Amino acid sequence: MKEYADLKLTVASSPHVGSPVGTRALMMDVLVALTPALCMAVFFFGPRALALTAVSVVGCEIFEALYRILLKKPVSGGDLSAAVTGVLLAFVCPVTIPYWTILIGDFFAIVVVKQLFGGLGKNFLNPALAGRAFLALCYLPEMTVWVRPGTKFWLGLTASAADAVSAATPMADLHNGLLPWLGTSGVRLHDMFYGNVGGCMGEVSALALLFGGGYLILRGVIHPRIPTTYLGTVALLAFLFPRVGSAEDWMLAQLLSGGLMLGAFFMATDYVTSPCTPWGEVLFGVGCGLLTVFLRSFGGSAEGVSYAILLMNACVPLLEKYTQPKRYGASRGWQRKARKEGEHHGKG
Amino acid sequence: MNGSFVSLLSIALGAILVGNVVFTQLLGAGPFLGSSGSMGTAVRMGTVVTLVMGLTSAVCWPINEYVLGPNGLKYIESAVFFLTAVFLVQLLDVLVQKLLPGRKPLVGGRLPLAANCAVLGVVFQNVQNGSGFLQSLTYAVAGGLGFLMAVVLFAGVRERIEFAECPKSFEGAPIAFVAAGLLTLCFAGFSSLNVFG
Amino acid sequence: MNVGKQIEEGLLTKNPVAVQLLGLCTALAVTTSLLNGLGMGLCVLVVLTLSNGLLSALGPYLPERIHMVSAVVVTASLGGVADLIVQAFFPDLAGNLGLFLPLMAVTCVLLSGAGVYAYENGVASAVLEGLCRGLGYTLVLVLVGVIRELLGKGSFGEGLLNSGRGFQVFPAQFAAGGLVHPVGGFLVLACVIAAVQGFLARPKKAARRKETVRR
Repeated sequence: MKEYADLKLTVASSPHVGSPVGTRALMMDVLVALTPALCMAVFFFGPRALALTAVSVVGCEIFEALYRILLKKPVSGGDLSAAVTGVLLAFVCPVTIPYWTILIGDFFAIVVVKQLFGGLGKNFLNPALAGRAFLALCYLPEMTVWVRPGTKFWLGLTASAADAVSAATPMADLHNGLLPWLGTSGVRLHDMFYGNVGGCMGEVSALALLFGGGYLILRGVIHPRIPTTYLGTVALLAFLFPRVGSAEDWMLAQLLSGGLMLGAFFMATDYVTSPCTPWGEVLFGVGCGLLTVFLRSFGGSAEGVSYAILLMNACVPLLEKYTQPKRYGASRGWQRKARKEGEHHGKG
Repeated sequence: MNGSFVSLLSIALGAILVGNVVFTQLLGAGPFLGSSGSMGTAVRMGTVVTLVMGLTSAVCWPINEYVLGPNGLKYIESAVFFLTAVFLVQLLDVLVQKLLPGRKPLVGGRLPLAANCAVLGVVFQNVQNGSGFLQSLTYAVAGGLGFLMAVVLFAGVRERIEFAECPKSFEGAPIAFVAAGLLTLCFAGFSSLNVFG
Repeated sequence: MNVGKQIEEGLLTKNPVAVQLLGLCTALAVTTSLLNGLGMGLCVLVVLTLSNGLLSALGPYLPERIHMVSAVVVTASLGGVADLIVQAFFPDLAGNLGLFLPLMAVTCVLLSGAGVYAYENGVASAVLEGLCRGLGYTLVLVLVGVIRELLGKGSFGEGLLNSGRGFQVFPAQFAAGGLVHPVGGFLVLACVIAAVQGFLARPKKAARRKETVRR
């Protein structure tokens, strides 16, 4: 691969049309869009939220640079994709998580999930979500401490147990078949909207995430297809099958709780791990929604967004394969034949 | 445990999602890796494994219940089941070649041995759990379908990571194993699933 | 009979797990600790050696047609005996290995290639072959088992070393329990296979470098 290394090629996400917008600019937009949620996290949980996010970002960038230096590959730190992974991973962890834990998550996300397969564009799972899933598998106690918002955490190495007044989350109430404002968490709907609830630090405020998501859509960074189909599927299923209360209440509570907004706008829309065909995107969104509702209703843990997106990530190659748009002038049968031939080429 | 439809459905869902043969029980890793190189092979292998699993379980259940159990021959069950599975697979291979002449054998010659870890594992589990005939059969067929799903998903992922620029020493089996590990991580989301209360 | 070459092939260049990718089920599933990996490895080592010797001795008297079937019969019976012995004398180990103890016979048939080598060679050579391949298998299982136990629990040798308590290397609080989970089986085995692949590729690379220098 030496000859390729010498070429000055710009690695950019899938629309390879000549454009001044590179990965760096896109990732910068994502970081900007995540800022409101970060502000809300700091507002509700104190400076430790900011410190954790910073540690995670620096950890991701360092692991990426180290890996690429060790393997004598060009260092790609400038594209900021590792920074986005760092922020997103911090956002799906509770504010009380020790710094070393999040660094292990960073290592897993960047080295095992992303760089081992060749770096940006080559991973098949969303690195931040896979990092979170790994942390949940290894450090479940640390990953499931939910504190009352408004408890201010300073920068201590470990969040002291006295500070960590645990709070029931709206998600746990929903899992137990209760509406949050009638359940143990006692959280009202507008609190869920602003983010005045216990939960992972970046996912609590639906308002801030909607702001960020809207910004990304307006800037053309993401297409609304995945978020709308994803949220639409969850809303429809919750509306049709409410477990308690009125259909609207149940639907709103489902939409505003847990990591759904963060997942729908920032995780499921990851260019690398979502389909690049329009119908693939629709199926992807619907699949995420179905799995989310399935796992939230029947899963062992209260939340299912991260695993739903990860499982759909794993289906992306199949979705892309069977939703290829018809080539202009080509008949269906011809295309099927071409696909089969491609398979044989792949085998050889 | 009764044989009602719901309990069978719950067994099937458990075998496909919660206790997936490949991802949770790590049975059949050989054929899983070996047949996921292309989508066609993956589908064929998954189908054959499903067939063989159902067939073997259906045959081994009465053997255990009416021959080994009453005669106090439990201690040779592993050898007996192993031979039964080998015999059935050979029979299936011959039948396919006789009934569909000119067709390539379903899977390469390694199947008789390779698929057995998954097939036999399922049979042993059924015996250990003391399941009835219908439960055993459901569990076996669902286990096969779980394998089919896993191997098809994995074949898709492997087509994609063919272009991975991984370190030289990770090329081939290791990177495929890392991918399989990550798929397993995704399936951890289904652990302790409880659908039917 | 080249003893040195056979040992090298069994342990490294033709290692049944790391190079030939056989017996992966057990290599993934039972390697949650040093004890389990070593226990399974030794069982397979013994069964493989005995069955290879037996098949090699029986070979000349058996018609070619039933070679495979007789290999399966012999190995499965020996595996069954080993299964019962482990259950009787090492109930803890049998409990840990669970389902994979009766599946040992399948692993042995796979590792011996249904006795192909044994039928074609003398008893001594066949026994040595079984021993080497069994050792190679054990080596990989022990390696994977130690890595998973160490990183996943912070200790190693539980139930085996230090009067059964094992050695705590770092506090269990920091241990990545996910490595004892099936996920860790795939990841750690991948690393071990990669290490072996890297090691085997190294001398060639050095030779290539010499070549380019000469040019």
